[in-house]
Amino acid sequence: MTVLVCGGAASGKSSRAEELLCKLSGDAPRVYLATMRPFGAEAAARIEKHRAQRAGRSFDTVECYVNLSSAPVPPDCAVLLEDIGNLCANELFDVEGSGDGAADAILRGVDTLQRRCRVLVIVSNEVSSGGADYAGDTLRYLRVLGEVNRRLAALSDAVCEVVCGITDYYKGEGPG
Amino acid sequence: MIFITGPMFSGKHDVAKQLLHCSDAELADRCAFEVQELAADCADLEALAEKLSRFEAVTASEVGGGVVPLDPDEREARERAGRLACLLAEGADTVVRVFCGIPRFLKGEWK
Repeated sequence: MTVLVCGGAASGKSSRAEELLCKLSGDAPRVYLATMRPFGAEAAARIEKHRAQRAGRSFDTVECYVNLSSAPVPPDCAVLLEDIGNLCANELFDVEGSGDGAADAILRGVDTLQRRCRVLVIVSNEVSSGGADYAGDTLRYLRVLGEVNRRLAALSDAVCEVVCGITDYYKGEGPG
Repeated sequence: MIFITGPMFSGKHDVAKQLLHCSDAELADRCAFEVQELAADCADLEALAEKLSRFEAVTASEVGGGVVPLDPDEREARERAGRLACLLAEGADTVVRVFCGIPRFLKGEWK
């Protein structure tokens, strides 16, 4: 089963996605697939916050910044992939990223994960509701992330938006 | 407490009036408006949420749906606004998101 969890900054999407994965995973081992490069104090603080949030939920952490297809994820596990916004930026702008092939690379990776694992919860970001006055790489990023989100929603069994910590389903339904 | 969120100018104020069945003048005493602005400089968001929960209704504009700001203070303000909204929603009896003036109930129901 694949669920897409989308939301704005500090909407509570990580917490809800973790809860969702724990409900759906059953006895499958839980893997946290992290995509944010740990650069700088702010990233370190964010990683620490998310680690504390996951504490006691027995997740193994796997890091993957580009080329999701190659992520060393064990078979038959439950994966929390967090998040698509960072992965998309890495694929678009990193030297080892896929550049113009970013969206396809991400979708290929998600396809590989779907075949390999029992449950996949994908966290993605709403970044296109804050004005339209963008150009260059920012506009390119918004366009690609929008495309990725649409394609992910199409292949997911359930799609929800998290608003102030509450999940609102647009497709399928939550595990209750 | 009824927590009312949604984009700027989406009609949160009018929805607050409808939900509390009151006039503009009465609303000013019963509702705290646009509280995302209070989050930026707040050291204790839980205390702020607790204080705001004493109002009958609280409105906040969603500010976390755009591109991540380049300025670290703006990023932090946005994070705090989001966390405050989560805290308020958690403590609220009713949570409403307003879209083009139309209330959508995310928690609780119309009374």
